[in-house]
Amino acid sequence: MSAAAEGPGQSNAAIEASGLGKAYRRTWALRDCTLAIPEGRVVGLVGPNGAGKTTLLRLATGMLTPTRGTISVLGERLAAGPAQLARVGYVAQDTPAYARMRVADHLRLGAWLNPGWDDDLARRRIAQVGLDPRQRAGSLSGGQRAQLALTLALAKRPGLLLLDEPVAGLDPLARREFLRGLMEAVAEHGTSVVLSSHLVADLERVCDYLIVLVASRVRIAGEVSELLAAHRRLSGPRRDPGTLPAGQDVIEGSHTDKQSTLLVRTDGPIHDPAWAVTPVSTEELVLAYMNPANDIPARRPRLGVAS
Amino acid sequence: MIRLTWLQFRAQAVAAAAALAAFAVLLAATGPHLASLYAADGLDSCRGSSCLSMAVYFSASLTTGPYGVLFLLSTGIILLAPAVIGLFWGAPLIARELETGTADLAWNQSVTRTRWLAVKLTVIGLTAMALTEALCLMQTWWAAPISQAVADGAGSGAAQSRFSQLNFASHGIAPLGYAAFAFALGVTAGALIRRTVPAMALTLAIFAALQVAMPLWVRPNLAPPDHIVIPVTSLGAAIPSETGAGGTIFTLFAITVPGQPGAWLLSSGPVNAAGQATSTAPAACTSVEGTSPSPGTNQGASPEGATTGPLAFRGCLASHGIREAITYQPASRYWRFQATETAIYLALALALTGYCFRRLNHHLT
Repeated sequence: MSAAAEGPGQSNAAIEASGLGKAYRRTWALRDCTLAIPEGRVVGLVGPNGAGKTTLLRLATGMLTPTRGTISVLGERLAAGPAQLARVGYVAQDTPAYARMRVADHLRLGAWLNPGWDDDLARRRIAQVGLDPRQRAGSLSGGQRAQLALTLALAKRPGLLLLDEPVAGLDPLARREFLRGLMEAVAEHGTSVVLSSHLVADLERVCDYLIVLVASRVRIAGEVSELLAAHRRLSGPRRDPGTLPAGQDVIEGSHTDKQSTLLVRTDGPIHDPAWAVTPVSTEELVLAYMNPANDIPARRPRLGVAS
Repeated sequence: MIRLTWLQFRAQAVAAAAALAAFAVLLAATGPHLASLYAADGLDSCRGSSCLSMAVYFSASLTTGPYGVLFLLSTGIILLAPAVIGLFWGAPLIARELETGTADLAWNQSVTRTRWLAVKLTVIGLTAMALTEALCLMQTWWAAPISQAVADGAGSGAAQSRFSQLNFASHGIAPLGYAAFAFALGVTAGALIRRTVPAMALTLAIFAALQVAMPLWVRPNLAPPDHIVIPVTSLGAAIPSETGAGGTIFTLFAITVPGQPGAWLLSSGPVNAAGQATSTAPAACTSVEGTSPSPGTNQGASPEGATTGPLAFRGCLASHGIREAITYQPASRYWRFQATETAIYLALALALTGYCFRRLNHHLT
């Protein structure tokens, strides 16, 4: 056996996808998705509504089976068995809960169905976020229900936690509370997290890894710090983007009569003195990649397979 | 998983237990009185042929009193119970989880969907079967005097044959099969349609259609029927007849199977000497058919001596070799029919269940 051989269980990828695709009847919800998300990251999965975020997450939970390609989660190809189910926590969109069951009943459900259930953690979190165990889930506010669903997923002590638009229905305060609670728990247990949103602002403060998904394809994926290091905003006298040196790809450009402003991906420093070079923010970067009008250059960013 | 199933099923189980208790109280309160009526009519001490007239009197008296209504009501409850179970326990089982999104919660714990469904189906399905059979057994105990009257030969009023559609479906072990099937049907409809209310409608439509089709077209053919041919003169029935161009068209029905008490009569009709079904009377009998005898002609004449009228017509038919053919299932096959029908419904329930497992694992998310 060569040392390079990587079998199941030895991989250090939280999610590894290769040529992954999912079609519903004839429509592709996700296609040609190749990713390797390292473990221990908080991953932001960003894209407009209908881009395929939910499909990617559900493929990772094993609730969907791929039409094409493969996906492995924490080194396992199939998420069918109870052992793998125990390793992946999933909080679905709209954070569902049984309306007629009490908060305490949900915790009992978690304890009954999960061998790795951390009851202390569950009770502590419920108290922390101010949920009354006797309250029925149907009478909880959106933010409270989201906290309940997150508690259920966290107390399962998963290796990977998948959250689908967890803060979409929450007001700004509840949003902050939810993300803070999530980050505390994640920091404590070193869980890998993927959370999706159509708003990068939701995720900017918590993510260290980003995936931008547009029209069922991955536009870019990588460590936030590396992505930021590899992109620059250039502004200067009007210029044809085609005249940029090799290694600099224009992601987005806007031109007035006299001036050009470009967002470029570059594999080295910008030496041209004609440009005023400024760093880009995560939001600018994501918006540039999310804009379907921008034609992303064909070269696959090496950042996408960073690990 | 069993604890979760119980937690979620508790409310329905309590409601079902309450309904069962109410049913039990109703029957327990009235059963002894019904039995005393039976005894009061002398049926518990009768011998031989005197039992028949007492049994007929007993069953006729029930039709006018509250017990006839109670008998029909309790029978109706047993027949409806499987449908209600299919609608309210079966159809929402998967459909409501999908509708409310809680499937994402339930199926992302450390329990496979297969196990989730297996436990739910087993716990709720067995409860459904036990509940229906309990109703059935209670009513069987309550209606024992009526069943006894049927065995004594009463065949009217509340006392109908064990093979009658209502009695067959509400007694024995058939309700077990219906309950299992209706529940599985509800679950399957929910898994297919993914919405509770339409799934309930589909469940009701299919179950009702099957409960009608089964006794009409399937049950009579579950075993090859027996045939006998009897003289038309042994039939007590009148002969409706009508004179047409080719002779007299007549029909002749048997009401019971002679010498086969409790048998299930499937069909009967006249046959000619060659054994072929016929409905045309020989020309010689047309003159004695007596469809429109002038008033008074037969007054005072003894039936045997009549030259016209129904009895003379029947005698004429007999003398021309016309006999009555009867197709029936003997009473001794009752439990064989019960077992076969139950097995059919249980097999259908199992097939549906298998489909649910497949669908749950491959198509539902």
